[in-house]
Amino acid sequence: MQRRNFLQKLVLAASSIGVAAVPYATARLLAPAEASSLSNHLRPPGALNDENEFVKSCIGCGLCGEICPPKCIDFDKRQGGDGVNGPFINPEKKACILCMKCTEICPTDALTEVPREKVKMGIAQIDRAACYPWVDRGVCGACVAVCPLGKNAIGFKFANMYRPYVKEEGCVGCGMCVEICPHPSLPIRIVEPGEGSVTKHTI
Amino acid sequence: MKTDIKVFFLWRHLNKLRWLIMSLVFFMLVFLPFVHVYQTYVASFSYDLLTQSEKQLFDIMEAVTSPFVTDPASQLDAIKGNTWSGNFFGYKISDPLAVAGQMAASISVYWPFFLSGLIPIILTIIFGRFFCGWICPANFLYELNTALSLWLQKMGIRAGKRHFDRRLKYLVLALGLGVSAMTGSVLVSMIYPPAIVGREIYFSIALGGFGAGLVFFVLTLLFDLLVSRRGFCRYVCPGGALYSLLGHFRLFRIKRIVENCNDCAKCNAVCEFGLDPLRDDFGQECNNCAACIAICPTDALTFNLSIKDKENQGPGHLGKKYQQQNSQLPEDKNATT
Repeated sequence: MQRRNFLQKLVLAASSIGVAAVPYATARLLAPAEASSLSNHLRPPGALNDENEFVKSCIGCGLCGEICPPKCIDFDKRQGGDGVNGPFINPEKKACILCMKCTEICPTDALTEVPREKVKMGIAQIDRAACYPWVDRGVCGACVAVCPLGKNAIGFKFANMYRPYVKEEGCVGCGMCVEICPHPSLPIRIVEPGEGSVTKHTI
Repeated sequence: MKTDIKVFFLWRHLNKLRWLIMSLVFFMLVFLPFVHVYQTYVASFSYDLLTQSEKQLFDIMEAVTSPFVTDPASQLDAIKGNTWSGNFFGYKISDPLAVAGQMAASISVYWPFFLSGLIPIILTIIFGRFFCGWICPANFLYELNTALSLWLQKMGIRAGKRHFDRRLKYLVLALGLGVSAMTGSVLVSMIYPPAIVGREIYFSIALGGFGAGLVFFVLTLLFDLLVSRRGFCRYVCPGGALYSLLGHFRLFRIKRIVENCNDCAKCNAVCEFGLDPLRDDFGQECNNCAACIAICPTDALTFNLSIKDKENQGPGHLGKKYQQQNSQLPEDKNATT
């Protein structure tokens, strides 16, 4: 009889936990799976370096997006699983201007306050087989002109040749160059630091 | 047959104040995304490049905000965010559930964030689950949903009236925090209606598109309408569970004055959270919303400073049951003597 009681209680507990899991399961099922590649899913500036640490800290309040002056921060509009409502920047649509307002307002410091030179969102990489000046199809220099960090981050390899190259130690990966690039296939992209191969080319 | 016990006359009008505050919070949640859109227009100096409707928005927002600020791009940052986490004139205020969820997800306490949740926690300890009734933007929609269900009942469509175990929401809270700790992601925010409402309004206005949360919120509305009145808040909401636990020994309580009560049970009918004011059963889940005080025809409910509810005081002295009991007693005495 006691065993029967115990089993009944066990079944009751298991079923109530099952019922309690229903809302989470529903929300998770509603969340669309979304493949993200780094080149158009940058975390905002100052984000904790480890992606897992960032997801642990972010509560998905959306304050970073709500204060962003160029409105560049978009959100994973999904509720479930890994990274609830996490912010990201797609520099192909709108790039970060490194105003660092989002790091000031973030309540959990998932976006830590750092000087703009110390931000590590990624690093720009130029495809020298497509960039106009590099394939001798004119003079451009838009990425160099727009870079908020100036000549520390991007410059011309030879004087007045208008062939841009990225300086690894200076580039923070804000993506302004990606936004401004006039080439339709965007030969300049943001990649993870250390991942870039084309930036290491030398002539 | 009125008794001499008077209650403070303003308590009856608290319900109106509550609706005012709730509407104001909801209005701010709609207004702030427009403010942000206006700020981006100002910051980019792009008035000439805007479309006609965007220019209209710019003009309206300029007219509304220009009396208060001179530099909209930076000064309008003073009030930002939603009830899940916000910035209010430099003070960061976060939902206690956000604090708990983030603590569970990272299995550590980040003190600056904990301090941002401190004011709501202290207020909850004093006033109980007041957030649910007074501020929560989802509660605003849920109460309108209740009104809708009453309309539907008048038209002959039966609303759901099922009852479940109210302790389920504590299990939902515990499960959410446990799974957050295992997966390392703040999972409670995905089923917490005020957080969903706040962010979905921002998405729809500023980013041009709802997210998956809207579907979940509509499902909860349908659950309330078809299965159980206010079912999500009563039985599921993890935030309500946390507030109930924090407000277990709250100082501000509603008390029934048994001398004034006439057992009409309007308070039980109006209570959104399915409590039992008629039998003095408020418990930790009362959110001090004052709807029962507003509807009481004999002023039998009032606020009280105490950390415990009264025991069941029996039938109200103006009610039939009590008067029958008390009128029979003298008759019995007469019969025996």
